[in-house]
Amino acid sequence: MSSKATRQPPTIRIMATSFLVIWLLVAAFPFLWTLWGSFKVEGDFFSKANWANALFGTLTQAETGGSFTGAGYEGAWVQEEFWRAALNTTIVCVFVVTVSLTCGTLGGYALARSTHRYAFWFLLFALMFRAMPPITLVSGYLLPFFEWNLWGHLYTTVIVLVAINQPFTLWMLHSFFKNIPKDLDESAMVDGCTRFQAFRHVIIPVMWPGVITTGLFSFLLAYNDFAVTTMLLSKENQTMIPKIASFLGTTQTKGNVMFAVSAVVSATAPLFVMVMFFQRQIVSGLTAGAVKG
Amino acid sequence: MARLQLKNVNKRWGSFIGVDNFNLDIADEEFLVLLGPSGCGKSTTMRMIAGLEDVTDGEIILGDRVVNDLEPKDRDISMVFQSYGLYPNLTVYENIRFPLRVRKVPKEKHDEMVMKAIHMTELEDFMHRRPAELSGGQRQRVALGRAIVRKPTVFLMDEPLSNLDAKLRVSTRAQIKNLQSKLKTTTVYVTHDQIEAMTLADRVVVMNAGKIQQVGTPTDIYDMPANTFVASFIGSPAMNLVEGALEGGTFTGEGIRVEGLPTGPSGNVTLGFRAEDAEIVDTGGQISAPMYSIELLGEASMITWRLGGALVSIKTNKEYRAEIGDVVQASIPASICHLFDTASGERIAL
Repeated sequence: MSSKATRQPPTIRIMATSFLVIWLLVAAFPFLWTLWGSFKVEGDFFSKANWANALFGTLTQAETGGSFTGAGYEGAWVQEEFWRAALNTTIVCVFVVTVSLTCGTLGGYALARSTHRYAFWFLLFALMFRAMPPITLVSGYLLPFFEWNLWGHLYTTVIVLVAINQPFTLWMLHSFFKNIPKDLDESAMVDGCTRFQAFRHVIIPVMWPGVITTGLFSFLLAYNDFAVTTMLLSKENQTMIPKIASFLGTTQTKGNVMFAVSAVVSATAPLFVMVMFFQRQIVSGLTAGAVKG
Repeated sequence: MARLQLKNVNKRWGSFIGVDNFNLDIADEEFLVLLGPSGCGKSTTMRMIAGLEDVTDGEIILGDRVVNDLEPKDRDISMVFQSYGLYPNLTVYENIRFPLRVRKVPKEKHDEMVMKAIHMTELEDFMHRRPAELSGGQRQRVALGRAIVRKPTVFLMDEPLSNLDAKLRVSTRAQIKNLQSKLKTTTVYVTHDQIEAMTLADRVVVMNAGKIQQVGTPTDIYDMPANTFVASFIGSPAMNLVEGALEGGTFTGEGIRVEGLPTGPSGNVTLGFRAEDAEIVDTGGQISAPMYSIELLGEASMITWRLGGALVSIKTNKEYRAEIGDVVQASIPASICHLFDTASGERIAL
């Protein structure tokens, strides 16, 4: 029930709704187009004759006998062993998130509670490093990594990604911790906790939304990273994103482009599931930092 | 149960002095109130006792051990914070149980101890709620319950009532007083509210600018303020203070002349008296000046004059009426007067 005062005029409402609908279409279209097209053959999805072929799958019907084909997926996952890349991505993401959250919560808490001035400068430097494009760091890494035989391994990439993400996680967690009143740690310590127990039993349970939000962001940074993974991983250790890029790089072979399209869909789907699953925590986490309670 | 001693305790941050040479001996079972305006070092003193703040200099002795270098958890104290400091993710019951859990009190004793604290703080109806679902007064009682659930040697309370509304403050104050007398635990209570200090304390420590101004029972402090700071801080309204000159037992200030004071001291002095001790008279009053304002308080009226730079008020009966600007007289017998040295602010013994 809205009163006359708060009700908006119909023109505004129509404009707002239509804007929203258009925006939604524009935003969702590339995903839907790719999803639909991933079940077609290359001749349809990249049709020079008629773009509508991608919608109706004329050539797909001619080549395979059905409107939809899983050939792209089969090629990517089985023939080109995309599952290996998926596994590598999982390993990289799990370790990056675990390490950066462990260091981030401990460091962010320490910085949030520190009364020293250097805490501020430390965070400022962290921000400067974060502002640097990752590729500037990566080029410097290459030579020592080759010489020390560290190049190409997953763990090297994990370390580099953690190093690049850590400033951001520190910043984010630091501001979450800042919003938790100091009285909470102090009452825990008076009640019989050590500093670490207060952190573990009192602060972290209150911090969950913040930890999950930060974890998700650092997951996304690791998951979507291209610059670092493409430069530092050998072919057999590639994660999903450089693997997709390498499919696209071999357009001479017919069908390989469709592998890329299917792989893109395969790489995007888990993100949707993930965001849906954590949406409540993300929302409360994002707002928790915004307003000082 | 313990005696708490502070010996030459100092707290400095760089060149800023938070607490200056604080000496105090708090007896077992005593209810001691640290009173002073904000920034006077009272909370810092308490936080040093709790171990939340390092002592720059001096010793804090709890029972028979120096606790300067002990962690808060090893000092066997409990503390109630101004903002309560409740654990938002735990229910009332679990909040109160928390100190028992972390201190590894045998599990089978928990329920009995927690329920006892819940009864004492009358939280039976709310014990399964979380702090967010409670009112301010209820939250404060949870904080109290958590403090009393085990038997600490000292209770520390840092302005526990200042976030409550006026009515609730009065009832919670009574509850705290009652709890302390039942538990007989040494208590240090910090407040800037002199009424809280007067009603709760066995002894009050008045502080200003990091220094102790006066230590004494509430009556001592009210009747014999040690200096003009204490005089102007204690009482509602605070003591009237008028600057003037004392010569041969007669005090003379602008619009005021009091005779019959001791003949010994002389020179520039500040005369103090309480609003409730003086009375309005028709003739022969020591104050005779145009009235500055009249305020109705309900049970009484407050008449105010402007004498020199100071506003001087006295209480009279509620039917009294006069117009602003009328010359009104008041009797200030020498027996109700306090004298302070104007330069140092210290009390002049009569």
